[in-house]
Amino acid sequence: MEPTNQPKLEQLPAEMFTIIKAASNGIGPRLGTLALPGRKAIQTPHYLGLTSRGVVPHITQDNFARATSISGVYVGLEDFIEKAPPHTPPLYQFKPPDGSSPLRRFIALPEQTLLVLGARRTPPLAAPSANSNTHETVAVCTAVGFRTLRAEYYAEVVEGLKADIVVGLGDIPFGRALGHKRVVKATDRTIQWMQDHVTRRRAVVERTAQARLFAPLLPVSCAKQQHYIDSLTQDLASAISGLAAYDLASLGDLPDSLGHLPRLGFTAPSTPHDILQHIAHGIDIITIPFVIAATDAGIALDFAFPPPARNATNERDLDNPLPLAIDMWAATHATGIYPLTTGCECYTCTSHHRAYLQHLLAAKELLGWVLLQIHNHHTLDLFFAGVRLSIAGGTFEQEVERFAQAYESRLPEKTGQGPRIRGYQYKSEGRGEAKKNKAPFTMLDDGREKLAESALPAANADASELEEQGFAEKDVQ
Amino acid sequence: MSGLSGLSVPEDMVLRPRPSALKFDLVTKCSTTKARAATLQLPHGPVSLPMFMPVATQGSLKGLTPKQLEETSCRLCLNNTYHLGLKPGQKTLDAIGGAHKLQSWPHNILTDSGGFQMVSLLKLAQVTEDGVRFLSPHDGTPMLLTPEHSISLQNSIGSDIIMQLDDVIATTSPDHARIEEAMHRSVRWLDRCIAAHEKPHSQNLFCIIQGGLDLDLRRECCEEMVARDTPGIAIGGLSGGEAKAEYCKVVSTCTSLLPDNKPRYVMGVGYPEDILVSIALGADMFDCVWPTRTARFGNAVTSTGVFNLRHASYAYDFRPVEDGCKCTCCRPPSEGGLGITRAYIHHTAAKETAGAHLLSMHNVHHLLDLVRQARESIVEQRYPSFLRAYFGKLYAGDKNKYPQWAVDALGGVGVDLMA
Ligand SMILES: [Zn+2]
Ligand SMILES: [Zn+2]
Repeated sequence: MEPTNQPKLEQLPAEMFTIIKAASNGIGPRLGTLALPGRKAIQTPHYLGLTSRGVVPHITQDNFARATSISGVYVGLEDFIEKAPPHTPPLYQFKPPDGSSPLRRFIALPEQTLLVLGARRTPPLAAPSANSNTHETVAVCTAVGFRTLRAEYYAEVVEGLKADIVVGLGDIPFGRALGHKRVVKATDRTIQWMQDHVTRRRAVVERTAQARLFAPLLPVSCAKQQHYIDSLTQDLASAISGLAAYDLASLGDLPDSLGHLPRLGFTAPSTPHDILQHIAHGIDIITIPFVIAATDAGIALDFAFPPPARNATNERDLDNPLPLAIDMWAATHATGIYPLTTGCECYTCTSHHRAYLQHLLAAKELLGWVLLQIHNHHTLDLFFAGVRLSIAGGTFEQEVERFAQAYESRLPEKTGQGPRIRGYQYKSEGRGEAKKNKAPFTMLDDGREKLAESALPAANADASELEEQGFAEKDVQ
Repeated sequence: MSGLSGLSVPEDMVLRPRPSALKFDLVTKCSTTKARAATLQLPHGPVSLPMFMPVATQGSLKGLTPKQLEETSCRLCLNNTYHLGLKPGQKTLDAIGGAHKLQSWPHNILTDSGGFQMVSLLKLAQVTEDGVRFLSPHDGTPMLLTPEHSISLQNSIGSDIIMQLDDVIATTSPDHARIEEAMHRSVRWLDRCIAAHEKPHSQNLFCIIQGGLDLDLRRECCEEMVARDTPGIAIGGLSGGEAKAEYCKVVSTCTSLLPDNKPRYVMGVGYPEDILVSIALGADMFDCVWPTRTARFGNAVTSTGVFNLRHASYAYDFRPVEDGCKCTCCRPPSEGGLGITRAYIHHTAAKETAGAHLLSMHNVHHLLDLVRQARESIVEQRYPSFLRAYFGKLYAGDKNKYPQWAVDALGGVGVDLMA
């Protein structure tokens, strides 16, 4: 369908993404500003908070607004469509009285926070079968298991939800490599889906409230998806406001003509070292699943960029890299009346202390994860601020090198139990399978329900330990 | 009352009042019912009575930050001594400087003695004159919790109100001799608790009236305990499955014997109707885990009843959890709230912890606000009409559905719900 009002349609606001500083060859870290109407401008490089069913795990919306500085979030449509088909998902029927974004209002996201919508949550669960996508559909994972999402349907519904940014649908086989033949197929499909989506958008007369469309890049080099890249630089160029990268490979030979677009990374860094590397490859806004995993593991992130000054001539410093995080389960924190990390100014660290965190984790109280999530995201905020400063000052490369020397290469191993496994970690694949959450204790009597309120102490604590804690005395009659 | 114990201590004979860390100011007495409005000055600030106290078992309230709990208007919450005694334990509590510091809660805390939890949670607990014997939940080693231990632990916790260790017997127990023994033992244990209490100037020890459903035993216990002049008085052993009519008789009998100038706390109560009726019977303080526990299962407590938002019918219900509710969850964004819909609670219930947190915020706020409204009506001498309006709304005007026990109990204090 050839749109009739073409000239008006091509007035894409050029000011959405401004590159402040970038290497002349197009590859490398860069500084920018992402500004969308009504939202607080985001200085890049930055990150997006990841949501599950519309919420950053554990963080109720009032805490989000008050106790975090998360400037943008990513939402996966698959979290909202378990009723379809045959029913219309509730979200599509929600019409806020003031005509504002149904998605934003449904999840109670603050007005100033950037809202990015895509098909799959991050990190996505890999589909059970190897060829889960078809010419018309992709496999998505809803609360009731894997379903197919039609590309046409996706393009239709995401436009109605009024997010700020929509990531177009790509034929990305999560969890699997793209073989040569499969790349050809994926390229064709993604071209088709994106063209259909853009055509649909161009047919809309009132475009002021339209979300910006980001084009997904297949997780291979641009050369390997050349037809699609050609389409992006030609017929789709005027309709695309940004790129979504699923692998650093697609940034290596990105043509100059796409260089002005902001790059959203779904590149799954697993450490801060990875984040720095991805930034060095030119990712502007990145999603960081390991933050949420760290929180659930009871781990408080503890790294800064640039890294603290250490004595390069001091062999002790060089031989003893700093840990990237602190395991809050450790009993050594039990009486620590000081912040999770020194000098941290987050809500958690200014209102609470390590001892409380340790207690909450040991007692399996949900608040522990709330407080950790707040601290961990604050740590990221500071980390990215430091990254931007160093890029501005031209010291990024050196600081990355120092960072690599100063810190351990991996996050500490998880020692404690996480919260109850929730939807985003595990999806039911059918009836009759074993429970994933073992009851934290078993009681033989009717105290079960009362005790369900709170777990008993570790099963390996013995009576003399209890006595030492002062709970009661051993009965020595 | 004569002949019950031979002990009778008129108020004017209490020459040396025991040290107390509270000040009770009676504001209004309802001219119809036995309800009272009062202000209670506690070490961590004043609270208004009647009052509902949410239960933060292990030093946190179901995922809510102390800041969020404060926003529900809560100024006194419960911690459980049994749980804090196990985790983080007394040594750690001493090192940290008590439970207020542990959880950064600037307001008041009340702790139970730990005995009830022990008896109700550990089937093999056994009560002797020394204390509560039980097998360690970890390795089965025999342990003993004494009145002295309980007070020492609560001294370490530093709660503003601490409870005596009492001998708790289910009111439904058929063993009358045992119930009588438990009542007398509770009095003896109160003496041991008073003697063991090291911080009477900063922590208020409440006695606990026992005696099962036997009103004579309850009377005798009231007399004995009132004579011991603790800063506050609790009515214990209830909410254990007894008939509501029996419960009301016990509460009313006790409040009639208790001095006007002390707070009265009915332990483990309860549901909104129970609280409002108990207020009419002269009780001031209530605690219950129900609003938060039930939130975890997706239950919303509202003035028109309890609704399970996990039910499919709420998936498309875009109204707030309760229309007109002023909690952070329900208030629209235009009033600084979140404007959370029932559909969103449905969307997250049992799937994301935040869904339960939001509902806990609403439920706790609902209970606190209900009791606040009750107090307002007492101050304005319109508690009877408040009660009639409450039951009318809850049962959508269908008086046939009113619970008989509530009709009878309120009738006994001059409020005819059926009028
Ligand atoms: Zn912090
Ligand atoms: Zn509410």
